[in-house]
Amino acid sequence: MRTRPVSALARREFLALAGLGASGVLLGACGTGSGAAPEGALRAAFGQPVTDLDPYKANTAVDEATLIVKRLVFDTLVRREGEKLAPGLARSWERTSPTTWVFHLRPGVRFHDGSRLTARDVVACLKRTKSVESAQTPLWEPVVSATADDAHTVTFTTSVPLGALPVNLTLLFIVPARLAADPAQSRSPVGSGPFRVAGFTPSTTVELERNDSYWGGRARLPAVSLPFVAETSSAITALRNGDLDLLWPIPPDQLAEVEGAGGVRVETVPSWTYYFSWFNCSRKPFGDPAVRRAMWQAVDVAGLVRELFGAGAERMTAPIPSTVLGHRAQQPYAYDPAAARRALRDAGFPRGFRTSLMWFDATGPLARELAQAMISAWSEVGVEVEPQSIEKAQWLERLNTLDWDMNLQTNTVTTGDAGFSVGRLYTSKANRLGYANPALDAVLAKADRAADEDERSRLYGDACKTLWDDAVGIFPATLVTAYGLRRGLTGFTPAANNQPELADVARR
Amino acid sequence: MTRFLLRRTGQALIVAWGAISLVFVIVRVVPGDPAALILGPDASPAQTASVRADFGLDRPLAQQYVTHLGEVVRGDFGDSWRLGGSAMANTLDRYPATLTLAVLALVLTLAVGFPLGMACARRAGGVLDACVSALSLVGQALPSFWVGIVLILLFARGLNWLPSTAGSGLASAVLPAVTLAVPFVGWLARLVRNGALEEGGREYVRTARAKGTGEGVLQYVHVGRNIAVPVVTVLGLLLGNFVANAVIVEVVFSWPGIGSLMVDAITNRDYAVVEAAIVTITVTYIVLNLLVDALYFALDPRLTPENA
Repeated sequence: MRTRPVSALARREFLALAGLGASGVLLGACGTGSGAAPEGALRAAFGQPVTDLDPYKANTAVDEATLIVKRLVFDTLVRREGEKLAPGLARSWERTSPTTWVFHLRPGVRFHDGSRLTARDVVACLKRTKSVESAQTPLWEPVVSATADDAHTVTFTTSVPLGALPVNLTLLFIVPARLAADPAQSRSPVGSGPFRVAGFTPSTTVELERNDSYWGGRARLPAVSLPFVAETSSAITALRNGDLDLLWPIPPDQLAEVEGAGGVRVETVPSWTYYFSWFNCSRKPFGDPAVRRAMWQAVDVAGLVRELFGAGAERMTAPIPSTVLGHRAQQPYAYDPAAARRALRDAGFPRGFRTSLMWFDATGPLARELAQAMISAWSEVGVEVEPQSIEKAQWLERLNTLDWDMNLQTNTVTTGDAGFSVGRLYTSKANRLGYANPALDAVLAKADRAADEDERSRLYGDACKTLWDDAVGIFPATLVTAYGLRRGLTGFTPAANNQPELADVARR
Repeated sequence: MTRFLLRRTGQALIVAWGAISLVFVIVRVVPGDPAALILGPDASPAQTASVRADFGLDRPLAQQYVTHLGEVVRGDFGDSWRLGGSAMANTLDRYPATLTLAVLALVLTLAVGFPLGMACARRAGGVLDACVSALSLVGQALPSFWVGIVLILLFARGLNWLPSTAGSGLASAVLPAVTLAVPFVGWLARLVRNGALEEGGREYVRTARAKGTGEGVLQYVHVGRNIAVPVVTVLGLLLGNFVANAVIVEVVFSWPGIGSLMVDAITNRDYAVVEAAIVTITVTYIVLNLLVDALYFALDPRLTPENA
C-alpha cells in the first residue's frame, strides 16, 4: 500500500520522460535528414551512383559515374576535347623513340592543399596505378616506367611501341605523390582540378565547390551538387519541377516525358556506349561463321532499333560506335529470314536448334525489350532461344567463365579509342567469346604499337571489317545520350563519354 | 523486473545470433562472386583469386563463419569493398535518415489513425466506420512501391507541391513517410475503434458520462488511457516495421537511408554491408520490443513482470 503513490508518480514521470525522449529523437532526426545543396550550385544527376573517389580504386577504374567526378576534381596529362586530344597538365609531348615519350608539364600548378604539382607526382601516380589490379591494368602493362627528368619533365618508357599512350593518359588522374596510396582519398581526395570535394556520401551525393585558383581558369558556377536518384521517374519529376538542373542519360522511352515539359530542353549526342549480342564461338553451333551470319540475317536490326529506341539510338555500322577512333563503316547485314533459313539448312540445321541468350536488365535502356525482340525474330527461322534474364553478379560470373551461348550487353569505349574495346576484347589471349583469329591478333598488335593516328585508325578499321564479316556478334545500336537540362543553363556541351565538362556550365 | 529484463535480453541475443547466421548463409549461397564485381569482366583468374583471398572468401565456409561471428561480437563487420571504410560505420551513417522516415511515418499513423478510430467508435456501424474499414483493407493490400510512385506522379509531377527525391530537407520526407504510413493508418484506426467500443461499455465510462463529462474528454482522456497498452504495443512494432519496410520506399524516393544502402549492397554482393545493415535493423526491432515491454509497466501499474 505504501509504495502505490510513489509508483504512480514514477509512472507519470516515466511517461513524461518517454514523451520528451521521443520528441527529441524526432527533432534530432529531422535535423540530419536534410542535405540541401548550397545556394547557386549546379544540381546534376547521372544514372549511376558514385561509390568511391580514390582514382586508383580497382572497382571504379572505368566506372562512368566516378569518372564524371574525377574529371572535375583531378587533372590528367592529356585531356579529351570532343574527338581530339588536348594538352592538360602536359603542355606538350613528343615521342623521342618508338618506346620513349617525353611530356612537358605546365609550371605553377598547385593541388587543392596548396602543394606544388611536379613530375615526381606523375611518377608516383603511374607507379600506384600499375600496382592496382583493375580494368585499367591492360592499358598500363606495357608501360615499363616513368622518370622525372626535372620538376616539369616526365619520360615514359614502354616495353613495346605504344601508340595509345596519350589516349590512355586521359585516365591517369594526378594526385600528390604522398597521397597516391592514402585511403583517405576515397572520401575526401586532393587533386588539382577545377573543383574540390566539399562533401561526399557514397551512393548518395557528391558536393563540389569551386577551386578559385584553377590553372585553367575559374569554373563558372561556385558549386556542383551531384545527387544520385535511383528511380528514373523520380529523377525526371525532379528535373521537371526544377529540383534538378541537369539529368542524364534520359532513357529513350522517357524522352517524351521530358521534352514536353516547360522549362526543360534536351540535347543529344551519339555516345561511346553500344549494345552487342555476342555468340559464344567455342560452343556449337556458333563455331560456324555461317550460322552466326544467319542469326544476324534473321533479325530486322534496322526496324528493331527504330521501333524500340526511336531517337534514342543509332544503328551501328561497325563493332564500335561511329564517333570512336578506328571506326570504319561496313555493309549492314540485310534482313532476310528466308536466306537465314537456307543458310541454317546448309549448315546442317534444317529444323533450327535450341540455344539461350543471357543478359541483366540494368545493362542498358530497354535491354529486356531488345532481347525479346531478337528472340522472337530467331524463333521465326526455327531457332528456339531461352531468355535468361539474370542478376548482374551472376551474369558477370558466367561471362567470365564463358558459361553462356549468347550474351547481350552494353559496353562503353571509355577512352574513345578502338584500342580500348576492339583491341582489348577480341584478341585470342583475352578469349572473351571463344573466338580466336591469329590474323586479327596480328592486326591488333600492330595497331597497338602504331603511334600515328591515321595508321592506328586504318588498322582498327581493318579489324572492324574482320569482326563484322566473321559476325562474332550482332552489333545493333549505339546509344544516343539524351541530356535533359533546365532552360536557364548555358555553356553546356553534350559529351559522348557521358562525362560533360561541367566547369563550363553557367546559369543565365 | 531485473530478472525479466535479463530474460528478455537473453532471448533477444538468440534472435540476433539467428539473424546473423541466416544472413551469413543466404548472401553466400546466392550465386555471384564479389571478386568478379570488383574487377569487372577483364579480370584474369589469378587476379580474381587474389581478391578472393583478400576477403577471406577462399577459406571453407565453416571457418569463415567462425571468424565472422568472432568479429561480429566485437562489432566488426569488416570493410565495404564498394564504399570503402567499415561496413558498420557506413550503415550507421545512413541510420538517422531511415529513423527520420520511420518516426515521421509513426507520427502520421498516430495523428490520423487514432482520431479516426475514435470517430468510428462514436458511430459504430455508420458510414465513416464502413468506409474506414473498407479503406483499411485496400491500404494494406497496396504494395508500397506502387503507392510511392503514384504519390510522386500526383504530388510531385502533377501538382508540384512536394519534391520527389531527397535533398530538400524535411519536405522531401513527406511523401516517403506517407507511403510508409498508408497501409497502417486504417489498421490502427480499426484497433483503436475496437478497443474504444470494448471500453465504452465499462462502468467508469457510464459514471463519467453521468457526471457530465464531455464526449471528447471521455474518449481521449478516460478511454484513451485505458486502450493505451495495445496501442503502444502496436506502435512499437510499427516503428520497427517502418525501419524494415523502408527498403523499397527508400529506393523509390532515393532516400539516403539503410534500405537503399542495403539494396545497393545486395546487388553488388557487398557482404559486409548487407550483414551490418540487417543486424542493425534486427537490433532496432529487438530494442523496440524491449522498450515496449518496459513501457507496459509504466502504462498499467497493475501489470508486474510475473503476470505480464
